[in-house]
Amino acid sequence: MSELWELSAEEVARRVRSREVSASEVVESALARTARVEPLIHAWLELFQEDARERAAEIDGRIRSGDPAGPLAGVTVSLKDNLNVAGWPLTCGSKILSGYVAPYTATAIGQLLDAGAVILGRANMDEFAMGSSCENSAYQITCNPWDLATVPGGSSGGPAAAVAAGCAALGIGSDTGGSVRQPAALCGLVGVKPTWGRVSRYGLVAFASSTDQIGPLTRNVRDAALSLSVLAGPDPRDSTCSSSPAEDYLAGIEEGIRGLKVGVIREIDASTFDPASARVWREALSRLEAAGAELVEVSLPSLDAAIAVYYVIATSEASTNLARFDGVRYGRRAEQADNLLDLYLASRSEGFGPEVKRRIMLGTFALSSGYYEAYYGKAHGVLERMRQELHAALDTADVVVTPTAPGAAFGIGEKTDDPLAMYLSDIFTTPASLTGLPAVSVPSGLDDRGLPLSLQIMGRPFEEATVFRTARAFELQASFRLAPEFRGAEAG
Amino acid sequence: MELTIEEVRKIAALARLRLKPEEEAVFVGQLGKIVGYIDQLQRYETGSESDAALAVREADREAEDIPHECLPRDQFLANAPAAMDGFLLVPEVKKTGGEVVDE
Repeated sequence: MSELWELSAEEVARRVRSREVSASEVVESALARTARVEPLIHAWLELFQEDARERAAEIDGRIRSGDPAGPLAGVTVSLKDNLNVAGWPLTCGSKILSGYVAPYTATAIGQLLDAGAVILGRANMDEFAMGSSCENSAYQITCNPWDLATVPGGSSGGPAAAVAAGCAALGIGSDTGGSVRQPAALCGLVGVKPTWGRVSRYGLVAFASSTDQIGPLTRNVRDAALSLSVLAGPDPRDSTCSSSPAEDYLAGIEEGIRGLKVGVIREIDASTFDPASARVWREALSRLEAAGAELVEVSLPSLDAAIAVYYVIATSEASTNLARFDGVRYGRRAEQADNLLDLYLASRSEGFGPEVKRRIMLGTFALSSGYYEAYYGKAHGVLERMRQELHAALDTADVVVTPTAPGAAFGIGEKTDDPLAMYLSDIFTTPASLTGLPAVSVPSGLDDRGLPLSLQIMGRPFEEATVFRTARAFELQASFRLAPEFRGAEAG
Repeated sequence: MELTIEEVRKIAALARLRLKPEEEAVFVGQLGKIVGYIDQLQRYETGSESDAALAVREADREAEDIPHECLPRDQFLANAPAAMDGFLLVPEVKKTGGEVVDE
């Protein structure tokens, strides 16, 4: 029989609601698992064990009294450390927010709690969500549970490692250029970047507002659909959030993809992949066909420009969004400052790490007089071109697929000295971010080292249901088994 | 294009960052390499904003303007590094000589 920590979110909620197990038992099982594996993976910045126990007891009480317990009753959650929960610290993986305590709860997280979920703690991330490896955290380096010498991906690397290792059934991250999908891929999970506006961002620390979205990381597609059904929906506190009501993404998810048109981008040249990634990519396309889909060729000539466009637009927005961290209103203030400007300079220079400084600098450059049109203006023009190309592709096809990342997890330290090489990890995830389209990453197989590889499925705006249906049909064909080995652990 | 150390210093001043000499040296190389990569954008064709953009941004077009309570002042100030009598406290505001680049 499976341990409680191994169960899917859907199964946990079913058993808790039907009183087969208590939420308290589920939480104890997750905390015991966490105590065992956390020394190996370093996924958590802080656990709120007593809060979690109290909350589980409250849910159990509700169920005993016959009150509705919610679709995520007793489901354990690993929360990325850039989502506000009233009364809990939040650092965004940065020293500049040390000491900050959230004064309110993010709308999406409030919905998760209302649905009966139990948050176990806040998980590690690249500082201000800037990174693809979780190595840019100011606090610790998180290891990939499949192979401890490799990265879990980023920036939501903490929740990804925690969910893959069995500490929690559900991870909640944010995805600006791939920060949910890429760590999901590297850890063998399902990761969702919803349509821009599908989930409220109220209470999410802003990085690049034109692409930021909150999304789930789960062990299977059904859990991803279930949790997005809870996270999504309108919010009067976020004017960029869609007014259309949340959908039940589990309805119709098993209907299959017979006759569905799956777009394959002509410009993706599998001969440039490493042999294992190329093999798994080709197998993935065959599996979609085996599930009844029709593969159609689509064209995205601007794909190769995605990284350049993304790193101009996202850093420009970050340079303005992060101007608020100035040592005045919240977070860390430099001790030695003679005057206000000195306070800004010293607080920011001491508080931000190298990658955040690099991106603020890049964005400031792209927006500065003399360069604005050549960089920011041009990037926006190429983005609109890419949008037209992708929408044309989605006129031809119902969904468009790519690999999620160019390869499996890379070694810790392998790319830290070469920021550009790190940025290139995001080649396939940035187009959906820039154009606001929904995208789901689903495990597709293992490379020659036994590390997970994934398929990304993009859909039309607000057609998450079609993306989930495709992902589910693919998952059934791929028969991927989430079985991280903790390779490199000295003791079992 | 490549960036000079003077340009890196100017960008840092605009970004309200004070870099150590060793940071400046690293950023000259790294930012120069990244900007060199981004320069490839000039090869690509551009488009203009279309209906496709609006398909995503259908949200909130007719959102009602409903006033609601904002964060109470004391809760907001609880996170402030320094506050006095309900206000944020900052050091004296005065010119510092040469640190600010107007742009």
